[in-house]
Amino acid sequence: MTDEEQNIAYWMQIRKGNKQALFDLYNNTYFHLVRFGLKITANDELVKDCVTQLFLQLWDKHARLNEVQQVRAYLFTSLKRMLIDKLIYYSKTDKAINKLKDKELIEELPYEEIIIRVQHDEELREKLHKAIEQLTPKQKELIRLMFFEGLTYEQVAATTEQSIKTAYNTIYNAIKILRKVLK
Amino acid sequence: MDHQNYTVEDLVCDESFQRYCLGADEEASKFWETWISSHPEKLALVREAEQLIHIISARQGKLPVQLEHLKDSIRRFDLLKDALQPDQVEAQAPVIPIKRNKVKWMAGMAASVLALVVTGYFLLKPATVEPPVVAEQKSDIDGTGIFTGNAPRKTVVLPDGSVVTLRSNSKIVLAKNFNTGSRELHLSGEAFFDVRSQSIPFIVHTDEVNIEVLGTVFNVCAYPDNELTETSLFRGKVAVTRKGHPEQKVILSPSQKMVYSNKTGRLTGTENPLKVVSMLPDPVSHKAQEIAWVRNRLKIDDEPLGTIAAKLQQWYGIHISFTDEDVKAYRYSGTFESETVVKALEALQLSYPFNFEVKKDSIVISK
Repeated sequence: MTDEEQNIAYWMQIRKGNKQALFDLYNNTYFHLVRFGLKITANDELVKDCVTQLFLQLWDKHARLNEVQQVRAYLFTSLKRMLIDKLIYYSKTDKAINKLKDKELIEELPYEEIIIRVQHDEELREKLHKAIEQLTPKQKELIRLMFFEGLTYEQVAATTEQSIKTAYNTIYNAIKILRKVLK
Repeated sequence: MDHQNYTVEDLVCDESFQRYCLGADEEASKFWETWISSHPEKLALVREAEQLIHIISARQGKLPVQLEHLKDSIRRFDLLKDALQPDQVEAQAPVIPIKRNKVKWMAGMAASVLALVVTGYFLLKPATVEPPVVAEQKSDIDGTGIFTGNAPRKTVVLPDGSVVTLRSNSKIVLAKNFNTGSRELHLSGEAFFDVRSQSIPFIVHTDEVNIEVLGTVFNVCAYPDNELTETSLFRGKVAVTRKGHPEQKVILSPSQKMVYSNKTGRLTGTENPLKVVSMLPDPVSHKAQEIAWVRNRLKIDDEPLGTIAAKLQQWYGIHISFTDEDVKAYRYSGTFESETVVKALEALQLSYPFNFEVKKDSIVISK
């Protein structure tokens, strides 16, 4: 069964009132949803809260849920709508954010910007900025694939068309630099 | 596998360690938890590696922790829904009497983490009530007492390392032999316990019930002169026994609530409570209001540790001192929410390290 077939099976169970299926679907989609949300807004607390809210809403209206063909796409769309509503609400006075209303205009935040902006500590942000500047584009790409997108070495190597050993060494050296600068 | 000579970089680059940090894989989590607890000397190394992964994963969070948040929200949501349909409350799951096999029961509990809230609503204490047979426990409990008086909160560290925060006008009395063979205390009032996990059971006696746990976090409210005692369980398992009636014992499972009425002397364990007086989620934070009195939301905007410590000292009611001036000047920013002073300090340590030592009624912070 593919991931999506599994999700559809969970979805059908949720509609019947199976709470465990809700948690299973959550486990299956959590990281995908959080990553997707972080690309819209680098506010990790808001994203995590919205993911919880989304599943709470599913549970609330489980008996009235329709059959869906693409569970993940449905969740992504719902999360996006929820995040944008919250962002607009939080910054009613901010005109710049009003363009968010045009939901198609949203640009994905680049990885470097996300990891810097989600840090709460100003000093850490500055250090992280400096640390990232010292990485090569290749190193940044591999760090993103492994730590943000959650790929394995095997998948990283396949995506970037190089050996696992090379991928490992590239990441290892990048981590060494990051650690040194962040310390 | 030999991880003995692992550096921080080795850990960060280890796929299984990464999965442990995100809580994405049960097997990896189990492995690393065991490894860390058997290599305490590696703790600083592990923390640094965790922190680094935390940063470059863009704070995606730990899956099991996030799942617990969801489960808590749903539990409170369900309770709220049930509260709005009082007619259906009768048709709930029956009390589960526990087997006499105590050892088995404890083994099951040791593995679980739980948070427990006990709330008392004793408004009228009828004179007709049968006096509870508590002599055997009463005689044990005549040791050290801790009182809050009118202070809003007071935090103490028990001899076993457990942290207790007491609410105003509350009192705990430790049994004489506390921490040598048994960990028993008597509570009058309300307290939040963060119990150090140990094989010795931890027992809280109130006037009406005993609450037995191994290592856990829970809140007990047992002010005298109330009418009902309620025990709401969020996670894990807990046993509640009626004082003087060891046969009247219930094990609660998550989302079950025990209601004890002093009028009828009945112990009721139901899937959903008869009354949902205290389970209303906070409309803003969606967190349990039962422990709102102790939960401290700390908003720090580039403040020195000295100032932060003063705030913690005032909130939790425990003296905090510093060994040197340097560490006092460390600056922090961020928002933390924590139930105990120890958790709050641990959260701060994550962003910039320092050491602290907890003593009976004070905390000493050093470099």
